[in-house]
Amino acid sequence: MKFAKLLQVSAVALGLGVAAAGASAQTLTVGVRGGPESMDPHYSALGVHADAMKHVFDTLVWSGDDLQIEPGLAESWKPLDDTTWEFKLRKGVKFHDGSNFTAEDVKFSIERIPVVTGPTTLLIYVRRVKEVVIIDPHTVHLKTDGPAATLPNDFVRLFIVSHKAAADFSTKETAAGGFNSGKAAIGTGPYKFVSWEPKGDLVLERFDGYWRGKGPWAKVVRKEMPNDSSRLAALKAGQVDLINYVSSADWQALKRDPKTDTFLADSVYVMNLQLDQRESTPKVYDLDGKPLAKNPLRDPKVREALDLAIDRPTMVEVVLEGLGTPNNQLMPKGFFGWSAKVPARSPDPRRGKALLAEAGYPNGFMMDLYCTSDRLPGDGAICQGLGQMFAQIGVKTNVNAISRSVYFPAQAKKEYSIFMNGWGTLTGEASYTLGSMAHSPNAELKLGAFNRIEYSNPKVDELLQAAGRELDAPKRKALYEQAMDLIMADRAYISIVTLQTVWASDKGKLKMTPRTDEDTLAFFITPGK
Amino acid sequence: MSGYIIQRCLQAVVVMFAMSVIVFVGVYAIGNPMDVLIPLDAPQDVRALIIARFGLDLPLWKQYLVFLGNVAQGDFGRSFVYAIPVLDLIVSRLPATLELTLAAVIGAAAIGVPLGIWAGYRPDALSSKTIMGVSILGFSVPTFWVGLILILTFAVWLGWLPAGGRGPVDVVLGVEWSIFSLEGLSHLLLPAVNLALFKLAMMIRLARAGTREVMLTDTIKFARAAGLSEGTIVRHHVLKLIAVPIVTVFGLELGSTLAFAVVTETIFSWPGVGKLIIDSITSLDRPVMVAYLILVALLFVTINLLIDLAYAVLDPRVARSRAA
Repeated sequence: MKFAKLLQVSAVALGLGVAAAGASAQTLTVGVRGGPESMDPHYSALGVHADAMKHVFDTLVWSGDDLQIEPGLAESWKPLDDTTWEFKLRKGVKFHDGSNFTAEDVKFSIERIPVVTGPTTLLIYVRRVKEVVIIDPHTVHLKTDGPAATLPNDFVRLFIVSHKAAADFSTKETAAGGFNSGKAAIGTGPYKFVSWEPKGDLVLERFDGYWRGKGPWAKVVRKEMPNDSSRLAALKAGQVDLINYVSSADWQALKRDPKTDTFLADSVYVMNLQLDQRESTPKVYDLDGKPLAKNPLRDPKVREALDLAIDRPTMVEVVLEGLGTPNNQLMPKGFFGWSAKVPARSPDPRRGKALLAEAGYPNGFMMDLYCTSDRLPGDGAICQGLGQMFAQIGVKTNVNAISRSVYFPAQAKKEYSIFMNGWGTLTGEASYTLGSMAHSPNAELKLGAFNRIEYSNPKVDELLQAAGRELDAPKRKALYEQAMDLIMADRAYISIVTLQTVWASDKGKLKMTPRTDEDTLAFFITPGK
Repeated sequence: MSGYIIQRCLQAVVVMFAMSVIVFVGVYAIGNPMDVLIPLDAPQDVRALIIARFGLDLPLWKQYLVFLGNVAQGDFGRSFVYAIPVLDLIVSRLPATLELTLAAVIGAAAIGVPLGIWAGYRPDALSSKTIMGVSILGFSVPTFWVGLILILTFAVWLGWLPAGGRGPVDVVLGVEWSIFSLEGLSHLLLPAVNLALFKLAMMIRLARAGTREVMLTDTIKFARAAGLSEGTIVRHHVLKLIAVPIVTVFGLELGSTLAFAVVTETIFSWPGVGKLIIDSITSLDRPVMVAYLILVALLFVTINLLIDLAYAVLDPRVARSRAA
């Protein structure tokens, strides 16, 4: 061992060169942009957190490659009445310490979340559950606070921990310590926890008793590398086998590189322009920078004019270098509640200008456009593109592409008039997206929490509330589609593109099916040959 | 001397106190961290619950008092993002930054000072002009670019050194170091060189300017007249006379590199504190930002104190004037 090391180093000294830390066929080393925040799966709802957790823990309901819900630790589920769901649990599932998975673990996990969850809270996924009743070791009944049609969708982020291993590590003070040290990080997932520290490497070892079967890699190392160029350099230097979130510029180069494979998938993220619907709005002015008498964004003609100014194909081809698809509604194509009836949007700046004149702004007006610049690939660039496109119909646009740490607090305080950020439909269905954005803000019904433009259409509210009560899936789907048609016709939300995600690996090194939720799950990645 | 030290310590306490207020107000002004951390889809009741749980529904002055009260008990709070005590988080990442910074700053001084003295001693020699020419590059080329070029050359093309990350660690004196194995050193080399370039250029220029000035003084003339060898003169007289500004810059550079090696750490995926702070700024992890900036203030106050003491040793006039 020491001798080998010495050899390697002297080779370096002699300038012969040795590929750095060449990974063996049994080890998968992944360079990921973001890692987990803790080894406690119940601490954070962040996508990168869940991505890492899915190696060690299982979720009650599984979310497939395209976000379709599939049996996970639960084999089947059905509503018994308006406020009760029955979940049948999988038999013969073992935790890493050899103990059996039972209903006790489900109850423990659901009740643990409100206690230990951090600010990026998982409460949203279990808030509808009022009580967990254990019927037998493999059957649970969940009592909800009202009809909860999408409970199985919410449970794709319900990670199950062992009620024995985690018993002593389930308070705010003890949770992180217990899980980060590995004592409580006992799951039913395909890999056993070996080591991790914040921002460092997550090291995992295969769990041979996994219920889906034995994983293809004996060891998995996930290295956190937030810088896009560094991650790519690590791949090219042979330090890692696979990287995620390849930037659009690098993707263009990698496509032509014969030594690299790239994997491309539609993501769950849609970039949406949001137009403030309040009577008076702070960041829209006349051409001299003085306040306007009324908010022009309330005029449907103005909203349509802005929509007509946006050239979506150009946005994808030029601004995103091909990494995206034009979109006309709040969710990616094919999601539950996505509507085929929303008309395709094509640019027509001339008609846009005419509409502005009809609305009483023949010379246009001026506005400040705000967007995030560091949250999703291409967000800042799309913002710049929008500014130029709006200028073509005479709307003078001051583009402010800023850090999410400034953007979201100000946006929550409703300091902006027209702003853009991505929205990911993480559960793959409409109640999540439309319930948050399109219902008028209503704290009592817990709807419209992310409706920061005070958009309100009574017809839409009615449809969304009806859909929330409807337990029959096809009927519910039809209600959401109707709501989607109305929302997109109103154009208070203008959807622009669905983003795409790229992975890259050495040529022929491995096979993977890219996932819509952007997870990089080692269990489902197989060696190339 | 002891009176002087006590006075400086009292000053330090005042500075720290003022710093904590400035940091707290500044961080508060950026915005409510919960708007960044709470999932966008969280309904209103969940938002309210979480905001209250982290004490962010209180007015600013109350939050500050709660913070001060906790600090008085040695508790800087828990990271919003990582749920572990902030001090543990910072301390766990300090060794990585410490070894990188020390390697860079000591390397820069060990190479830069002799080169600079040579360039000042023989200002017209070709070698001196080459040294000065190259040092301009060190100043003017941006760190992130040099870092990427280093990676491209030595990791991607030549494959001699790893492209980033920290090597395996050994526990020495209860702390995890990566400098005791060859693999660890191979990981350290590129980021340390990248970090050292700017400092190297600065050391060369400082040493050269100092030397040129000193060489013209009576001290050197008399030393030569006394028949001392040129080597002795450079080692005993020149080096001692140019030491004061170099020690000052060395100390401050050490401090600022320790605190803000952000660019190099990010490019080389080096798990140090610089990366921690930049990440906590983008996620508005308030407890980490506040604790970190206060610790940085403490670091600078300490370094300045040590520099002042070093002056007294290097230049007896300083100590005498203070004693008076």
